[in-house]
Amino acid sequence: MNPIEPVDHEQRAAEWTVALEHHGLPGFVEERLVCAAAGSTPWVASMTPAELLLARTHGIRPVATVSGTCWYHYGYSWTEGHAEGWHKALGRLQREAAAAGANAVVDVRMRTLRHSIGASMDFTLIGTAVKIAGLKPTPKPVVATVPALEFVRLLEAGIVPVGIAVGAQFDWYLNNAWTNGGAWQTQRAMNSWTNQPIMDLTEFWEGIRRQAHAELRRAAAQQGNGVLAHTHFGQLLRRERDKQPPQYLGRHIVIGTVVEVERGEGVSHEVEMVLDMRDRASPLGAGNGPRHSSYGSDMDDQEGSI
Amino acid sequence: MADTSQPIPEHALARLAGLRREGHPDGVFTSDFSVNEFLLVRKAGFEPIGLCVGSCIYHVGFQMAGWGSSVEMDVLSTAMYEARALAMERMKAEAQQMGADGVVGVRLTVKRLEWDDKVLEFVAIGTGIVHAKGHQGFKGPRGEPFTSALSGQDFWTLLQAGYRPLEMVMGSCVYHVARRGPFASLGTIGQNVELTNFSVALYEAREIAMERMQLEASRAGAEGVVGADLHEGNHGWSTHVIEFFAIGTAVLPIEGMAEADRIPDPKLVLSVNS
Repeated sequence: MNPIEPVDHEQRAAEWTVALEHHGLPGFVEERLVCAAAGSTPWVASMTPAELLLARTHGIRPVATVSGTCWYHYGYSWTEGHAEGWHKALGRLQREAAAAGANAVVDVRMRTLRHSIGASMDFTLIGTAVKIAGLKPTPKPVVATVPALEFVRLLEAGIVPVGIAVGAQFDWYLNNAWTNGGAWQTQRAMNSWTNQPIMDLTEFWEGIRRQAHAELRRAAAQQGNGVLAHTHFGQLLRRERDKQPPQYLGRHIVIGTVVEVERGEGVSHEVEMVLDMRDRASPLGAGNGPRHSSYGSDMDDQEGSI
Repeated sequence: MADTSQPIPEHALARLAGLRREGHPDGVFTSDFSVNEFLLVRKAGFEPIGLCVGSCIYHVGFQMAGWGSSVEMDVLSTAMYEARALAMERMKAEAQQMGADGVVGVRLTVKRLEWDDKVLEFVAIGTGIVHAKGHQGFKGPRGEPFTSALSGQDFWTLLQAGYRPLEMVMGSCVYHVARRGPFASLGTIGQNVELTNFSVALYEAREIAMERMQLEASRAGAEGVVGADLHEGNHGWSTHVIEFFAIGTAVLPIEGMAEADRIPDPKLVLSVNS
């Protein structure tokens, strides 16, 4: 049999377009997910065997790989485009997971291709949809940006990772004319020979971060009651202007895993202290790498669109 | 996770079944904890309430040092210290505003801004936490929130050890290491010798930074400093100018927890998966 069966690409593309417009799924995707959920096709999981073992002891059954993508063009704001892009991808991931009759999507990874097609970027989420024994499917499965192992560990402690929250904020610090006293002060401080904090810029910059955190809190409130932020990205850029004071653009993005938790419950597990006798590369010390590929160190502080 | 037979709590199952309780009386918390940190902070009896951030954009003044002299660049030392202290102060103010007992996992960063090499950006960020049962004994000096550079894991372990964090303490010393004159260089051609003036300069700068940190710790009323770290750095200065920066968390014993025999011995393990 030919391993690559011919596919009618035009037909499929048309189905995708209709599906994205109507917040639905193309027939062939729905079929793949429904068949996996019913067990008539094999299940697919990104879990390691150890994770599979732990999942089984907790009644968690993998169903299928699900994803959500949104290629987003920045019109007026680069910064806010990130919040919007991830939010859309999240909705699409949940739609696929719901079609698979899942209760949760675990091991969700945030991905971005490195490309430069105008002022745009793709926001992609990929994860493993899972069912939990004895629970009915839900139209809005929870989205856990943690591996299955951590998912189970959190559940045992009564903590449910439920989604992704993005807090994004940008602002211009405009000194529109030299007649503005503040502009002079800032500039004098920059050109002086002495030590001094530049307070107006400090407050402007700190304000952006705090607003981003407030946005994060608001976004998290839609899904749960707490957020573990794993990604922080900020830039303070200066734009020189002719015969006018320079302008500053500050932008900050913070992304985290939203959790729902009973406050003040504590953790019932005993914690045992161990000393690993292995000299190097102890698996106990091995941390998980970043859960995303979007904000690498190669993102430089060059001026770009906001 | 030896005891994995532990069932998943009811409310967690309800959430997975799509039931979401409406309205959370305690609001929504933000933090930058990892999963393990979050679990251990809760295990220690605390709850996160919010990310606290303080920053300072600082113009570093100008100072010259004689070509052949080993001296502290006190203008730079002051700048590096003052800017960090300001960022920390502002972070602590935000923590106090949200009613935190303390801030854990504080990361203190310095970044050079592209557009001006004399302007540095200092940021302090950490997670404000409160004691879940309202215990007031964990506040820092003067009833203000404590600050700690320790991660959630280290925080739990520190409490197990019978200590509580008080305040992040630091000391900075920017030092100019003298250049060697042409005659001194000529004199040592072909010889293996110690460059004593360089050794002395490094000793001196490190010593000053540590002394300053220790002084801060005694002012905070600490018994000791854990997680002390000494960084060497150069923030865009000439090659003979080095900053020595000492930072650590000042700690105090917890009342009534002082007996060391209460602390269980850690188990020794040798993991077989490589």
